This record gives sequence, C-alpha cells and structure tokens, in this order.
Amino acid sequence: MTPRTRKTLEFILDNLVWFMLLFVLIVFSALIPNYFQLGIFANIIEASSVLGVMSIGLSLVIIAGHMDLSVESVAALSAMAVGVLFCSAGIGLGIKLSPEWLMVPVSLMVALAVGGLIGLFNGFLIVKLKMNAFIITLASYIWVRGVVLAVSGGRSAQDLAPAIRWFAIQRLLGIPLTAWIAILCFVAFSVMMAKTRFGRHLMMIGGNETATFRAGIRVTRNLIIAFVLAGAIAGLSGWLLAIRTSGATANLGVGLLFNAFAAVVIGGVSLKGGIGALPGVYAGVLLLSSINTAINLMGLPANFTQVIHGFLVLAAVLLDTFKQRLRQRLA
Amino acid sequence: MKRIVLAVMAVLALGLSLLTPAFAQSKGVVYYLVPTLLDEFQTGSVSALEMFLKQTGYEMKTLNADNKTDAQQSQMNDVIALKPSAIILAAVDFNALKPSIEAARAAGIPVVEFDRQITSTVSDFTSVAGTIEIGYVAAEQAEALLKAKHGDVKGKVLQVLGDPGDPYTLDIQKGFEEKMKAFPGVTIVSVPAMQWEASNAGTIVADQMLANPDIDLIFSHAAHLSVAAVASLEAAGKKPGDVMMMSSNGAPVGLDLIRKGWLNVEVEQPLYAQAAAVAMFMDKIAGKQEIKAGDYDVLGLKGTVTIEAWGPNIKIPGAAISKDNVDDPAFWGNLKPPTAEVKSVP
Repeated sequence: MTPRTRKTLEFILDNLVWFMLLFVLIVFSALIPNYFQLGIFANIIEASSVLGVMSIGLSLVIIAGHMDLSVESVAALSAMAVGVLFCSAGIGLGIKLSPEWLMVPVSLMVALAVGGLIGLFNGFLIVKLKMNAFIITLASYIWVRGVVLAVSGGRSAQDLAPAIRWFAIQRLLGIPLTAWIAILCFVAFSVMMAKTRFGRHLMMIGGNETATFRAGIRVTRNLIIAFVLAGAIAGLSGWLLAIRTSGATANLGVGLLFNAFAAVVIGGVSLKGGIGALPGVYAGVLLLSSINTAINLMGLPANFTQVIHGFLVLAAVLLDTFKQRLRQRLA
Repeated sequence: MKRIVLAVMAVLALGLSLLTPAFAQSKGVVYYLVPTLLDEFQTGSVSALEMFLKQTGYEMKTLNADNKTDAQQSQMNDVIALKPSAIILAAVDFNALKPSIEAARAAGIPVVEFDRQITSTVSDFTSVAGTIEIGYVAAEQAEALLKAKHGDVKGKVLQVLGDPGDPYTLDIQKGFEEKMKAFPGVTIVSVPAMQWEASNAGTIVADQMLANPDIDLIFSHAAHLSVAAVASLEAAGKKPGDVMMMSSNGAPVGLDLIRKGWLNVEVEQPLYAQAAAVAMFMDKIAGKQEIKAGDYDVLGLKGTVTIEAWGPNIKIPGAAISKDNVDDPAFWGNLKPPTAEVKSVP
C-alpha cells in the first residue's frame, strides 16, 4: 500500500461516520418521496439539537472512562423546572420578568443549575466515594424522573414565555436558533477536548486512570468537573427540549438516553474510554435524526417502525465496528 | 440508644392508632392498578376514583406500573395476597393481564376493568368510554371538519399515534380508520410518536408538513402530543386555524389549545363519569351481587350497562369538545370535580 493510499484510507476511516451520513442522505433522497428538500434537511438539524447537546455531556464522561445514565432524566427535570416557572398554562406559574429578555438567561441558569447540581451529586458519589458509575447514575436516572413526576403531579406545563420560545421560531440561514445553539456547543466542546489541557487530561484519564494519576494530573478534580459538565449540558438539552415543545410533560425526553448512547457509539467514542471526538458524535446524531425523518416520511405501518429503526442503528454500529477492524489492520 | 428505639416505637404506635379508626369506618380497601402516571388522564383517574370511592365508603390505594406489563402482573400477585375488597385494573396490556385477572377472581377478589376493556376473560365490572368508540367519534368530527373546508369529505389527514406498542392507540386508530374508509377521497398518513413522547410528535409534524404540505387535519391521539405539534406549526410560521387540529382524551392542555384557536376538536374521555360509575357499583361488585342491565344516570350522563360475555359493562360515550362548549365544567379537562356526591346503586 502506497503512503498516499494509506493516507486516503485513514482519512476516510477517520471521517467514516460523515461519509455514512452522506451516503444515507443520498439513498433516502433518491428513494423516499419528498425527502430531498432544504426544509427536511433543516428539520434533521433542528430535530437533532436536543439529542446532540445531550450526547456531548454523555461523551465527556464516557471518554473519561465512566458513564452517565442520568442525562435523560436530568434533561426532563430541567425542562420541567423551566416549564413550571415560565409556562403560563397547565401547571406553569407563568413568572414574568421585566424586561422580558431576562427570562432567557434566568431560565437557562435554572436549567444549568438543576443539571449541574445533579452532576455534582453523581460525581461526588462516583469519584470521591468510589461508587460504581453505572449504579449511581442508574439510580439518578430513576429518582430524577421520579422528581419530575412528583413536581408535575403527572400534569404538564404549557405555553412557554414567548421571549424563550423565540429561539425555536427565529431562524438563521433557514435553521432555528436552537439548532445553532447545539452546533455552537459542538464547536466549543470539540475545541475544549482537542485544544485544552482539561480535554487532553480527560482523554488520558479514560485511557489509563492510574497512569494519569501517577503523572501528577488531578484525576479526582477533573472527573468531578466532567460529571458536573455532563449534568449541566443535560440541563441545557432540557432547556432546548422545553423550548422545542413549548413546555414540559412528565414523560418528556423518554427514550433519549438510548439514542444518545447510539449516537455516541456510532460517532466513534469507545465505551472503554480514552477514545473519541465530538465532531464524530455530531455526525452520529445527524445520522440518527436522518433515519428518524426517513421513517416519519415513509408512512410505514406503525408496528414496524421500531424494528426498522433498531436495524438501521445496528447497521450503522456494525459499519463502525468494521471501520475499527480495518484501522487495526492498517496500524 | 434504648430510649431512641422506645421513642420511635411510641411514635409508630401512635401513628398506627391514628390510622385504625380510618380503617374501621371504611367499607374496605380497593386497589387501583394504574398503568402509568406520566399522563394527565391517568393521574386524573387516580384522584377521581379516590374521591368517588371515598364518597361511597371505600378507601383506595394506588399502584403505578410505569407502563410495564410484567410490573403490573407482579402488582396483581401482590395485591391478591392482600385480599382487598376489589381490584380496579387499567391494564398496561389488554391481554397479558388475563391470567392475573383469573387468579384474582379465583381467590374471591372482584376485578373491575377501568378505561381499558378486556374482553378475553370475565371481569366483575367494566367501565369504559371505549377506545374504538373514541376513534368513531373522532372520525365523525373529522368528517364534519373536512366537509366544512372542502364542501365534501375529502383531503389529507395526518394521524399522530401514540406508542405503537400500546393497544390503546391502536384501538383508536382502528375505530378512526374503520369509519373513514367510507370516504375514499380522504388520505390518512399515520405515524407513531414513540413512547408517547411529545417532542417525537413535534418532529413528525415538522417533517410531514414539508412532505405533505396539503395536510388539512392533524389528529393526535393525546392532547399533550398536540402541544408539541402546535409548537412545530408555530415554528414553521403557521397561525391558529391554518391547519385543522383534533386530539383525544380531553386533557387540560387540549382544552387550552381549543381556547387559543389551535385545536378544533378534542374528543373527551368522560373521566369523571367513568370513575363515578365504578364507585356507584362498588357495593354490588364487592358484595358479588347481580348488576342489572339498563341505563343509569352517571353524573348527568347516560351510562348504559350491558351484560357481555366478559361481564357487566358500562359504556359512557366520549363527547366532542369544541370552542362552543369548552368551558363546560363537566369536562374533566377543566379540572372542576363534580360537587354532587355519588351514591351507591341500591
């Protein structure tokens, strides 16, 4: 194999998920009526904003060698907190601030604080008390959803303040601002992971925690920060979810966790830790969103959609496994 | 340490002594096995059943199955061991609970089916609006809306289902499509919102409005799905009335959307009447007395009891709520529980 062929092949493997996305978009555009239009592509980007942001937080802790199963419930609780405070119908208290734009930073701070605090709680138990991340975050997944139910009493908050809803309605280059927020998050956290000391330390911790500790890096502090970030980012995704649906219901976000995991894995993040890049995760999120949109447009009998969804995700993951093997052969 | 233990024991004993008179006054304990609490209809059913059963002298305890069939089966087994006066079951899965119902009845515990009809085995009482019938009422409303728009019953309907694993939504779909078959000029596009999750419904509406911009009517199988659908329409620059909308279950959020002009019709499940009917007949159910067929006044609505192969069945038809009658306090979505006390059927 010539060095040039090898370089080309490595480039393709490094960005395989983007090529998969492109391939899927071309196939769907050719086969599914009405799929090929700018509006649908904008919808794909918009629909992936909540899942995308949630996947960033999940990726951080997975790259650091842990996991966080609570992100879905944390997003739901943050959405409910924003809904209860700033919705005017249902169980919403309809709090108004003057000037109105103040509601945007305040609601955002509420969502981030809710998420960050739960992240801190998880991080403390896992890192300081050395408890198992799977069990602790599974427990949080359950109790936080329970809090959503307790706070809402099973009812919903509706009619989010127009100042906050503005982000879902206003568009820049045909894409809603909520989607731009997700894109900005991916850019910011990708830079953080690739260019900052903290990002590199997380990678090292995920690769070999003991060696990183022996190298004098503050593992405990960095891991707790990763969990707080994962929680706060989940809070941000909850804020976006509330904006997207103009409120919150007790079952809001149900099922997002598994899609987030699928996106993270498809995006090339190793569940063993130490490997992964956020641009790939974003491609994974877009890929899932493209598949969902295709299913929505295909008009298939309801009973079969979940089967098709599962198989398409499986196909994407198998292709990713094939990529890993090919890379090992090249190495 | 001994003192602390003694103090705790004393507090517990005091608590138990306070509880005892409540049990003594009650005719018995009834367990309500609710499928989920993540939905306004179900949480509303808990408070309505509790209130009406209290009026007829029963204490109610609720167990939530979190939409898990196996969890509800375990709950049934546990409750059978407690020997309550009756079990009220709103089944997660209409058929999977059949053996548990039979086990409870074999143990001498009457079983009441609430909201979700089970026809594969005998129950002691069934109180339903009828999920297929909700589909029928929705079809009648769709027919009227499309006729008013086009002068004839034709056009395109987007049907946003709930989770495709939930027989409740499949029955509504069955009833709706069965009636709409009579109108070949109507195209129905059906897409499920997985796990009844609102943002999934929002995505469906956003995608379908681009793929099928000629959609005349959106029919969501629950009001909370309509909220997300409205959010998507709003984001697409639509105004109330641009696309006709309809949903079912009569939740408070649906009624709010009618008031705001987004929703044309909400097909109500008569939650209060369904719950009141259970309380009205509870003495007969718990006492294993005969329930006679006929018409009964249930909170001012006509409930018809028929004796079916699966036991006595009261059906209280759901009403269509529009802008004209949205403020009627009889609709549970207005959250004004009836003030009149429910009396046991003699």
